[in-house]
Amino acid sequence: MKRNTMSYKVKQFLMFAGPATVLFFAVVILPFVYGLYLTFTSWDGISKTKPFVGLANYLAAFKDAAYWQALGRTFIYSAIAVILVNVVAFLLAYLVTSGIKGQNFFRAGFFVPNLIGGIVLGYVWKFVFNRALVSVGQALSIGALSTSWLATTNGAMLCLIIVSVWQYAGYMMLIYVAGFMSVPKSLMEAAQIDGCTKSQATWNVTVPLMRASFVQCLFLTITRCFMVYDVNLSLTKGEPFNSSVMAAMHVYNQAFTYKNYGTGQAEALILFVVCAIVGVTQVYIGKKGEVEA
Amino acid sequence: MKKAVSFAMAVAMTASLTTVGAVPVLADDVSITIFNSKTEIQSQMEEKAAEYAEEKGIDVEVYYSNDTVAAHMATRYASEDPYTLSMVDAKDVYSLGKEHALDLSDQEWVNDTDYEISVDGTVYGFPVCVEARGLMYNADAIEAITGETFNPDDYKTLDAFKELIAKLIEGGMETPVGIMKEDWSLGAHFLSEVYEEQEDVEGFITSLHEGSADLINNEKFNSLMDTFDVLMENNYAKDSPIAAEREVSEQKLAEGEIAFMFGGNWDWSVINAYDYTENMGLMPVPQNTEDGTNEKLVGGGSKYFFIDNSDNTSEEQQQAAKDFLNWLVYDEAGQSFIATDCALVPAFSNNAIEVSDPLGKSVKKYADEGALIPNYDYAPDDHYSICGASFQKYLAGQIDRAGFATEIEDYWKATTPVEH
Amino acid sequence: MDANAQAAQKKKVSHAIMMIVLVAVFFLFIFPLILVIINVFKTKADITSNPLALIGAHGFTMENFPKAMEKMNFLVVFKNSLIVTVCATVLTLLVSSMAAFVIVRNNWKACNLLFSGMVASMVIPFQVLMIPLVSLYGGIFGVLNSRITLILMHVGFSASMATFMFHGAIRTNVPMELEEAAFIDGCTRWQTYWKIVFPLLKPTIATVAIIDAMAFWNDYLLPSLVLGRKELYTIPIATQVFYGTYSTDIGLVMAALLLAMLPILILYLFLQRYIVEGVTSGAVKG
Repeated sequence: MKRNTMSYKVKQFLMFAGPATVLFFAVVILPFVYGLYLTFTSWDGISKTKPFVGLANYLAAFKDAAYWQALGRTFIYSAIAVILVNVVAFLLAYLVTSGIKGQNFFRAGFFVPNLIGGIVLGYVWKFVFNRALVSVGQALSIGALSTSWLATTNGAMLCLIIVSVWQYAGYMMLIYVAGFMSVPKSLMEAAQIDGCTKSQATWNVTVPLMRASFVQCLFLTITRCFMVYDVNLSLTKGEPFNSSVMAAMHVYNQAFTYKNYGTGQAEALILFVVCAIVGVTQVYIGKKGEVEA
Repeated sequence: MKKAVSFAMAVAMTASLTTVGAVPVLADDVSITIFNSKTEIQSQMEEKAAEYAEEKGIDVEVYYSNDTVAAHMATRYASEDPYTLSMVDAKDVYSLGKEHALDLSDQEWVNDTDYEISVDGTVYGFPVCVEARGLMYNADAIEAITGETFNPDDYKTLDAFKELIAKLIEGGMETPVGIMKEDWSLGAHFLSEVYEEQEDVEGFITSLHEGSADLINNEKFNSLMDTFDVLMENNYAKDSPIAAEREVSEQKLAEGEIAFMFGGNWDWSVINAYDYTENMGLMPVPQNTEDGTNEKLVGGGSKYFFIDNSDNTSEEQQQAAKDFLNWLVYDEAGQSFIATDCALVPAFSNNAIEVSDPLGKSVKKYADEGALIPNYDYAPDDHYSICGASFQKYLAGQIDRAGFATEIEDYWKATTPVEH
Repeated sequence: MDANAQAAQKKKVSHAIMMIVLVAVFFLFIFPLILVIINVFKTKADITSNPLALIGAHGFTMENFPKAMEKMNFLVVFKNSLIVTVCATVLTLLVSSMAAFVIVRNNWKACNLLFSGMVASMVIPFQVLMIPLVSLYGGIFGVLNSRITLILMHVGFSASMATFMFHGAIRTNVPMELEEAAFIDGCTRWQTYWKIVFPLLKPTIATVAIIDAMAFWNDYLLPSLVLGRKELYTIPIATQVFYGTYSTDIGLVMAALLLAMLPILILYLFLQRYIVEGVTSGAVKG
């Protein structure tokens, strides 16, 4: 079989990537293109008419101060959350692959936060921030704890970050664990025979080989943080004073609650572009330095 | 083997992409779908629908969604799969009625209610119930301290109300008030009373849009804010009002730990989950005013049914939906379903069944006396959120009354009027 | 003390510290779950008044479970969730790993285009696609209200991330030499993939399986758009009858959550073995 004829290539591509490509186009690209078209209309989301308005929605988006504030806020939140999530996840992965007793048990425990979402997450954490921490703070008279963090602008942001770390760290830990596991033990052993301590061996041998895991985790956390919605909705709903409304929530409100579908869609696209630039740059940089296997 | 699997997979995929995967609807049976947007009556709705279906020989399914009503309607209409009968908010009827709702002007029930919604003279919305806002009180808690029978009519003015509060504090209830910090409560419910209690509501809204309204010197604004200040002063969560959780506040009110909270009869669905005391009710917001607004609750029809008018709904289905609405109004079972099973205040004058919950009783009493100031249903969609946020700042002590007034004025100036 | 004993001592200490840190973090992580478990046996009044109390003033109650199960129509929605999750996960694993393989091993234009499209698409906020998606598949093709549609949509949406993960794994962990050897032995690409590459991907397969299964199992938004008929509801859609603006039955929500999370937890514990097993099979590379 010849490996460089066009028909061979097409056959190979369709055989392996055909189903994925078809589904991906049907479900993501097609609606995306249609969605792009909708940003040029002043549709309210439900009316039968979709009047074409050109770039008016983009102009409205640029003038929407609340949107840009939300976007700026999302940047700050993402920067802090991405770093914390990955540091915590990596350390957890390291600890639970180090052969410690009961590591399976620990892994299961760290994974649990992923399973608690939506309204229960909001309920539990609101209780923690509004009541549990406050009563501890008042009992021990710790000033910073004696009023609820959720009631202040910076506090609400802090709470969002804490809950995000709690939720995503176990998830990213999974990927780091898979990374640790796919580095052959023999390499580590060889390094230790050569006189490296265990942590040196980890740092010098394992970590470079886990580059793919880092790229993946960073990309996933960046995109997830930029598009954070569920945690935002269930924990703060944007309160207090709409000061914790993140970009995705603003977009949702704009499109559905305020019934400016076109503007909301345009704002979502701007969010998409920003997020894509950040995420793809990161992947590109990460891949460039990848150790070739 | 592997090839066979992948081939089968490919076939399955293409087949499922091209074939119609919709669930078939039985052709000879009429089946209608009802969208319910009032969570607290979902199980009652389902039960009744099953009974109703059996009795009438049609198929009825009741649906509920956790999304905002407008968003859910948008997706159902986008997928051309609308409900036969949808329960939505007043503003949704105004925005989608003309295009999507069936003309109900010829229905008999139109004559038996004051709360139907019509757009340009055509009736589209069937009122599900009456709801009103005011100050919720726990009379048992008050009487336990004062030792006298509590009669809300004695506390129409802020001065009288303040005296009562002082008495309660003296008697050991240090903080007799709860305040909901939710933006819909502050923005859409309390602040809206400032508009709704104006003599000329439309004129006032227009002046806000034009920027000529002087809120900080407006009598109604100040009168209501004076009362709000008293509520704030005596809020149990005064130190951190934004952290007060609604469930906790409602439980305190239900169990008599606090005596007052601004709210409406929908709050009963929360209160009734707790160990509430018997004598609760809803009274007008006390104000030092002569204009009579301190003798009325604010409210009116709430939640409206409309019938889909598109080709997706057959004439039989539309007729079945109309029959269902008539059943709610004229059949005894339908009447008691609204008033007893769902504990709602009926919006129809012919429904004489006594309302089962205390807050509803108050609403019914004021409604029957004609003492309801109508809702203003044309606030822009983002009003509750943006003005609610400003109100939260006021509640948290971050801005003063003048600053609050300015933010509200700025909001209205930047917003285009809602056509109606 | 000789050097060896000292080293052993040091190791012991560091081990103990690690253990303490782990246990502390562990409790921080599962504290909310403990809270859920405590409160699921209480009435709503007791949950609100004191969530930390082990037993509320109204006593211990099991009521939340049967009530939640009845209101959700648990057996039906559980079956629906299971069908959707299993089919969508298996399909995602197959189509994505295959796509990743051809993308990694060939520097063709189509491959690069597909891959960059997929990576970029991972940052599309779902809200952008929501309405267009239902307009196309509901309004134009009329294929909503079907499990197959939901399964294929799940696969389409998650293919990007899964391909991205497999892409990384194949690049770093599957040695070319093995494939070349197989080729010399007369294997076709297809055979090579199934006999050599796929088995080597076990840790990633297990990881992606958990991540996707969890996502499908818990997803609310997409199923709520696609499945508009009660008999097709999945667990997350069914639990929404407990939520509301004016009242939320938190005890029932918690019961539903516990009922719903068990299958995923079991799947996780089961698949975890394969993540560990991957060490040996991955070690062929040197």
